[in-house]
Amino acid sequence: MRFPDLSLRTAENPPCWSRGVLVAFFVACGLWWLAIFQGEAARGEEATPDFNRDIRPILSHNCVACHGPDEHDRQAGLRLDDPAAAAAELESGLRAIVPGAPQSSEMIVRIREQDPDLVMPPPESHHVLDEAQKQLLERWIAAGAPYAPHWAYVAPKAWPTPAAIDRAWPRSWIDAFVLDRLKREQLAPADDADPTTLVRRLHLDLTGLPPTPAEVDAFLADSTADRVERRVDALLASPRHAERLASWWLDLVRYADTVGYHGDQTHNASPYRDWVIHAFLENVPFDRFTLLQLAGDLVEPAEGEHPDDRVLASAYNRLLQTSHEGGIQVKEYRAIYQADRVRNISEVWLGATLGCAQCHDHKYDPLTSRDFYAMGAFFADIDDERHMGNAGFGGGTNTLPTTRLPERAILGPFDRAEAERLDREIAELTKMLSAETAAGNQATGNEPEPAAVVAAREQSARLTRQRESLTRAVMITEQLKTPREVRLLPRGNWMDETGEAVEPAVLSVLGSLNVDGRASREDLARWLTEPVAEGGIGELTARVVVNRLWALFFGEGLCRSTDDFGGQGEPPDHPELLDRLALELVASGWDLRSLIRQIVTSRSYRQSSEASAELLARDPDNRLLARQGRWRLAAEHVRDAALFASGLLVEELGGPSVRPYQPAGYYQHLNFPKRTYAADTDEQQWRRGLYVHWQRMFLHPQLAAFDAPTREECTARRPPSNTPTQALVLLNDPTFVEAARGLAARAMRASTADDKRLSLLWRQAVSREPDATERAVLRELLARRREEAAANPEAARAVLGVGMAAADVSLEPSELAAWTAVARSVLNLHEAIARY
Amino acid sequence: MINPTPLHRRCFLGQAGLSLGAASLGGLLARDGLAAAGSPAAARGAIWPLHHPPQAKAVIFLCLAGGPSHLETFDNKPTLARLDGQPMPESVTAGQPIAQLQGKELVVLGPRKPFSRYGECGAEISDYLPRLGGLADRLAIVRSMVTEQINHDPAHTFLNCGTAISGRPSMGAWVTYGLGSEADDLPGFVVMTSKMGRNPQPIAARQWHSGFLPGQFQGVEFATSGSPVNYVASPPGVSEAHQRDVIDTVAALERHRLASLADPEIATRIRQYELAFRMQMSVPELADLSDETAETLQRYGAEPGRATIGTNCLMARRLVERGVRFVHLYHSDWDHHGGIEPYMDEICPPTDRAAAALLADLEERGLLEETLVVIGGEFGRTPMAQSKDNGAGRDHHIKGFSMALAGGGIRGGVTHGETDEFGYHAVTDIVHVRDLHATMLHLLGIDHTRFSVAFQGLDAKLTGVEQARVVTQLLA
Repeated sequence: MRFPDLSLRTAENPPCWSRGVLVAFFVACGLWWLAIFQGEAARGEEATPDFNRDIRPILSHNCVACHGPDEHDRQAGLRLDDPAAAAAELESGLRAIVPGAPQSSEMIVRIREQDPDLVMPPPESHHVLDEAQKQLLERWIAAGAPYAPHWAYVAPKAWPTPAAIDRAWPRSWIDAFVLDRLKREQLAPADDADPTTLVRRLHLDLTGLPPTPAEVDAFLADSTADRVERRVDALLASPRHAERLASWWLDLVRYADTVGYHGDQTHNASPYRDWVIHAFLENVPFDRFTLLQLAGDLVEPAEGEHPDDRVLASAYNRLLQTSHEGGIQVKEYRAIYQADRVRNISEVWLGATLGCAQCHDHKYDPLTSRDFYAMGAFFADIDDERHMGNAGFGGGTNTLPTTRLPERAILGPFDRAEAERLDREIAELTKMLSAETAAGNQATGNEPEPAAVVAAREQSARLTRQRESLTRAVMITEQLKTPREVRLLPRGNWMDETGEAVEPAVLSVLGSLNVDGRASREDLARWLTEPVAEGGIGELTARVVVNRLWALFFGEGLCRSTDDFGGQGEPPDHPELLDRLALELVASGWDLRSLIRQIVTSRSYRQSSEASAELLARDPDNRLLARQGRWRLAAEHVRDAALFASGLLVEELGGPSVRPYQPAGYYQHLNFPKRTYAADTDEQQWRRGLYVHWQRMFLHPQLAAFDAPTREECTARRPPSNTPTQALVLLNDPTFVEAARGLAARAMRASTADDKRLSLLWRQAVSREPDATERAVLRELLARRREEAAANPEAARAVLGVGMAAADVSLEPSELAAWTAVARSVLNLHEAIARY
Repeated sequence: MINPTPLHRRCFLGQAGLSLGAASLGGLLARDGLAAAGSPAAARGAIWPLHHPPQAKAVIFLCLAGGPSHLETFDNKPTLARLDGQPMPESVTAGQPIAQLQGKELVVLGPRKPFSRYGECGAEISDYLPRLGGLADRLAIVRSMVTEQINHDPAHTFLNCGTAISGRPSMGAWVTYGLGSEADDLPGFVVMTSKMGRNPQPIAARQWHSGFLPGQFQGVEFATSGSPVNYVASPPGVSEAHQRDVIDTVAALERHRLASLADPEIATRIRQYELAFRMQMSVPELADLSDETAETLQRYGAEPGRATIGTNCLMARRLVERGVRFVHLYHSDWDHHGGIEPYMDEICPPTDRAAAALLADLEERGLLEETLVVIGGEFGRTPMAQSKDNGAGRDHHIKGFSMALAGGGIRGGVTHGETDEFGYHAVTDIVHVRDLHATMLHLLGIDHTRFSVAFQGLDAKLTGVEQARVVTQLLA
């Protein structure tokens, strides 16, 4: 076990950054250099408001849209997001902020103004400052109006691990931070979750599947001190964990199986999905993971890395929505594709809403329109031309799948071993056949070929076909000889060519790249993950990443706005812990698995999710982490859990996307070409949810009902809902009815005793044992359903006919129908689709 | 004037574990601990009280998908008739976005049918739409619409979501989120589609998606044939009593669990199962048109079991009668690049009949005054001809086109705005799509500038970040 103690690294004494680089970084942060030390000095003084926590949100929400970074729309020449500008003399001769003198500060005069024509914010903005906010601003100016750089643009600091008073509780430095905060809030952490809840939580969080009853029992029977760690290690190493992380990543990079616009044809992307799973399975360091996706076409394979990996990964650049609707204008779509890519990369790696700067400088954050187009210029060398062409139709087709060149036929990472095996067999057969030929044992004239030769030839042909079916086409990144010219588009208008041409460059607020000549996607990828000390922003990127990982295991990020680290986002609830986690990720060599391990083995993670009424009232959103979170499973895992409980789940890794049962006519509105949905008729029917064909325009209704995103844009959080449509899916979707039958059959096969059957069935779905009341309720249902099934065998047969899974003829149909009703009830429980 | 949403009625899809009084997405998205189970707030939408007294409480948007020609419906241009077959003046088209006519010779195409004046207001309406013409005094015709997207897919997204960027809520989702729904056992936002027999443009579920709002505000698609709503039918062999038994068992188990674990999501789940069951009962009743008279069916041109514009308009009336907040009807096949005459001959009569029947029927039932009806498509069509084998047609056009509005809070007999003499550029009283949205929200009691949800750093609004205005000239 490794819990590196970072407590020796402090803000004053950074372990690895040279002073000079730090200075350079802060200079890049503009005039905040001085301010940061004022901010630091002020820490701990209760009277002085903290700029980032107290003041920035007020300014951002109420003021800077008109008095901020967008110089085209700036009112009265006033800029409040910049300390020097805010204190400067305005056109009017007044000063908005006179540090130390609120009464002389025009800002205070105006927010205290009664005249509706003069008061700030103006009434038509519908922004109103309350008294507390006004006083905060006054106190802040009185204290010298100390600014601080926006937290997300400042490199994380190695905050010392708080010394815990309660030494018994923390298991790691993570817990020390959590406990320290709780202590300051005069709260105590929750009790540990009971072991059954904990092991179910671990399995669901780490793999997206519940534990089997046997796995629960083994955990309960294990009395060793490190049973959690050992279980975690086993789960982290499992392919199921890689699949679970892949769903997270695929939401971010908006992976889907179709183009998204107009005809929404299938495009060739599934090998990329498999590469993502494989990368998580191999625990590829996140910096390499980043580099391969952004610039796989520009780099050499690393040692031990399959040369195809970088090709597969480079499909990232091709995941955007594309169109070849008749009458599209190529220039317009170049602009649309560029914007799509800029939005995605800035969301995924920076947690920045750079997309806002397509038409104007960002209203809230120091991101300029120029930054937007300079970021777009990194991607101007990606070959979109071969599928767009000059007429707008180009190489794209209305076929299924469509062609979106450049593409390559390639083996997915999970097909390589099988391909090698087949290649060997084919080679042997070929060798054998040529030996036979050399020996003259082939058909001559009327003499038939020896049977062995015929068989070998047929076998070879069969294996060759099998081998060919293993390769799949995938869209890849190829470079254009000459990158497209990128111009700054005034107001985002693609028809306006008056804007200046821009070269690739990183966000100006975060510095610049030190490269000769035109910067490449590779430079961008390296900048994203290289440490600050080496000229990159790795620690900043890491903070975005760890925050989202934390949300996977606690329900929410340490910074709630997992999609926005800008001024309009929320400041982190545990900034020091977030910083330390980010540094830990970088220091570990971007080892995601190690970081996840540290999170889920912490005492904080092991807390019960139950909340007293008092705690709920005090901290309804669980920002203080005085308990664990509780939530409904992700859409894919709702499906997976039911199939898993039923025993129907087919666990294979990767491959073409699969097609579960779907209501007839669901694709009726798709056209070019018209679509007839054919559900899989083999075991592909029961694959995990992440492999379901992701039709952007009409996402599978089970996934859509449970809040899975269409993946047209980056999704950093899925808005959760709890709807009658979800009830209809669980009650009536053939997948879930069939799963109920499978679960019922499983219980019946396991025992002849009703009570044991109930127990097993229940535990498959919710992991714990049913209590007496639960047993009684289900037994009553069972009795009523038995009676009905016996009286109406035809109806019973009809229920059992749902789905294509073979009927277990050893089971009496009416009895199975009655148990299916029991299983349906259990699979419809909230607890069956929830994580506590 | 009508009263704001009465409190005693429940919001169907809008009450899911949310404290809807708070318009912050942070609150909306809280995973835990914010259930509104049984709270009166659940009956309302995010806006309460409304910003001002509403003029309408429901919306029917009849979307003529594909881009109906304004020049053959509501915008009479004698100049085009005069110049028919002659080159289009380059001064009009230079530097303009053009779709399929890129690089082609641009020739004027005169209106394919004469216009007549209708009603006391004397509105000019094409002879393609005589029945709507008969209701001219109820209609507000806007002839100066503009949009920003020239291809179908993004133009629909723009019309429905106020932006061409995918992943934002559609207007039906916004409205249901803002107002909640009065329907006890139906979704607040229903989508129905119909098409003519040709090869219509595709439609994406994005057009009724809830975007970053929670899923309960998503439009629910109703089909006229087969199962009306996905998964609304019980599994084969499962009787109503059997389904009820399962749902009651689930409820009993959930209540038992809730007694020892105060998880508000469980309480919400119990209620959603009850609503799901009611929906299973009510949807077939709703979709069963046998309680309508033959005269009514004939009036709409409704054909039970067939997804026609007539059937769907009749269904729209039945939906708003039952308290559904937003009905989105998609009638496809208005993309007349070629053969505009034969296709308009085919598509206009049933559309005209159904739309007119809907307005008249709503009025007779006293529903029109509280129901806003909007008729129009994602863009208009060029004054220039596009030649095809099946005869002349028109290309996509975004710089000036028409829509018609009627009902709740709309001043009838108004013709608003103008395009130039070619029907190319909207020149007076221009109405942008976002102005249409602002006006719609205004009629529902919502100030569009105060109706926002924090998303990715922005106070995201249906009307977007640009200035939008309520078109007061259209208001009664």
